[in-house]
Amino acid sequence: MAVEMRLPAVHKHISLAASQSNRDDKHLVVPGDVITSDTGFMRGHGTYMDEDRLTASVAGEVERVNKLICVRPLKTRYNGEVGDVVIGRITEVQQKRWKVETNSRLDSVLLLSSVNLPGGELRRRSAQDELAMRDYLQEGDLISAEVQSIFSDGALSLHTRSLKYGKLGQGVLVFVSPSIVKRQKTHFHNLPCGASIILGNNGYVWLYPTPGQQDEEAGGYYTSMEPVSLSDREVISRLRNCLLALAAHKVLLYDTSVLYCYEASLPQQIKDILKPEIMEEIILETRQRLVEHEG
Amino acid sequence: MRDTPLSNCERLFLLKAIEAKKRLDGRQTYDYRNIKITFGTDYGCCSVELGKTRVLCQVSCELVPPKDSRPTEGIMFFNLELSPMASPAFEPNRQSELLVTLNRQLERCLRNSKCIDTESLCVVSGEKVWQIRVDVHVLNQDGNLMDAASIAAISALSHFRRPDVAIQGQDVTVFSPEERDPIPLSIYHMPICVSFAFFLQGSYLLVDPCEREERVKDGLLVIAMNKHREICSIQSSGGIMLLKDQVLRCSKIASVKVSEITELINKALENDRKIRKEGGKFGFAESMPKERITTLKRDDAPVEMTDVKETASDIVNRTETTTEVVPSPVLVAMGTAQVGEGIVNSWALDEDEEDEPQTEDRKTDEVMVISDSEEEEVVILHEEAQKSTKTSKQK
Repeated sequence: MAVEMRLPAVHKHISLAASQSNRDDKHLVVPGDVITSDTGFMRGHGTYMDEDRLTASVAGEVERVNKLICVRPLKTRYNGEVGDVVIGRITEVQQKRWKVETNSRLDSVLLLSSVNLPGGELRRRSAQDELAMRDYLQEGDLISAEVQSIFSDGALSLHTRSLKYGKLGQGVLVFVSPSIVKRQKTHFHNLPCGASIILGNNGYVWLYPTPGQQDEEAGGYYTSMEPVSLSDREVISRLRNCLLALAAHKVLLYDTSVLYCYEASLPQQIKDILKPEIMEEIILETRQRLVEHEG
Repeated sequence: MRDTPLSNCERLFLLKAIEAKKRLDGRQTYDYRNIKITFGTDYGCCSVELGKTRVLCQVSCELVPPKDSRPTEGIMFFNLELSPMASPAFEPNRQSELLVTLNRQLERCLRNSKCIDTESLCVVSGEKVWQIRVDVHVLNQDGNLMDAASIAAISALSHFRRPDVAIQGQDVTVFSPEERDPIPLSIYHMPICVSFAFFLQGSYLLVDPCEREERVKDGLLVIAMNKHREICSIQSSGGIMLLKDQVLRCSKIASVKVSEITELINKALENDRKIRKEGGKFGFAESMPKERITTLKRDDAPVEMTDVKETASDIVNRTETTTEVVPSPVLVAMGTAQVGEGIVNSWALDEDEEDEPQTEDRKTDEVMVISDSEEEEVVILHEEAQKSTKTSKQK
């Protein structure tokens, strides 16, 4: 069996000129940095008062809204907004609701009244439905859902009230940082390379083979257990490695960037994509294409 | 913080692997991970590494009045703590079920088995006795905390030395370690816990489960035994039903493992004793491996680039064009053929070779001698028309 060895070398950080100008506008701070000595501001999240000086307590970007200063951290647990698409895993089945783990500070809640009943019927949830909850979603199942509202303690309330949400079947789950996923109009994409992707705002990305035909009447609970073909699996593996490469270089994830990265990685072997030198090459090419695409 | 839940995929994979008698780290069903026992500079401080699981135990003693019900016996106090350093699932000051189970099992294993002679800990009956306090800290959780904790506790107790006391009438003098050598505790036997994890309703068992295996287990059987094959405590949790012969089989496996582990502990104690006697360095710092591969980081070196073009073109002009290589095999003689070219032999550099012009012209009718052997003459048996091979490339 061949073993690869690599001698340590100094890695040069490659950054394009376009991104340089962006960086100058942002006010980045680290914990302990003084934001302002002006006492006229109200302090928001991520700041504290240190002898009349407003100091940052997290590493991130300073945001100012009129008189309120807060620091938005770069690396953080997912903070939900209404309307976000998230992917989560069921951790508990309780009375009339499920607890879903979504990489946030508290487990999110999926109420029984917020899911589509199989068969798509609209009726009041009965006690029988409550007892049959485990037949719909069990502990360990993956679901895609949308944030309906936020409780006062910060926990998210999810709903799967559309046919595109529901239990996820066969596929690959990739964990990235929530701040890397770009907010877009739609998070469900059928990539032309032959796979589909769901970019969850909470940093969970789901790759799955494009379904042949939509099964309307199942209402999101039918998961096909047919074996996935080798070519589909290769495409999904390549996409997964590309996602990890993009996340390692902090490139915003959206359908275009994922697609460009996939195309840039085609000459390499799937397992080589995660090697540092090859990763840099691919990301450089992706970044260049993205800059051209934008303007 | 709650542990991230195990995905269904992983759970199925682990169970299927166990069914196929395979473990994640390549061990066999009854194999233990590598056990490493090291002692600190103080007497009674012991660190045990069971694979990646790390446990630190410290034994200390104090003179206290004895319990009313037992005026002539010393007191043993056990305390196990799950440090948040060990796993993100451990929160400080949280009384979890795991903590209670581990504490209870440690107490049962060491206290109820009467491995330490508590009567020898009495100083003045009814007034002063030694209280031996055993503190176990879990530093890293990678499965099987119970075994690691019991090994650490019994090793630390065997390593510990209490101060010497002298009683004269009513006066009790406690000597410091400098005045008089401290005395070891009197230990009758070394009880060690061996854990067995059961899977798939008790049909498969694994010894020394790692953290992932522990997450998918159905039940756990912990047997505390000493090397004399005496069972000190036995506990089954998880609600699985075990058959009689399963339990008997486990106890047989446990006796084998316990004798191995006891030997290991004794060896470690012996090593430590020897080093201390010889005056060598001992402690945790010494037991860490010194062999390290350090990385070599080189920054960019500036290179003279002023006349690169000229030097480059010079070199290019001076070198001659490479000659074509005949790819097809060349029949040199009957039964001998040559494919490709070899490099010129550089071992025996004659003067002729050095003065030879770079491009050689060979007469085509001469017999080509290919071999470099030092025999006097190479006789080619069959003379046939040969194609002359092109000149060899220069070195």
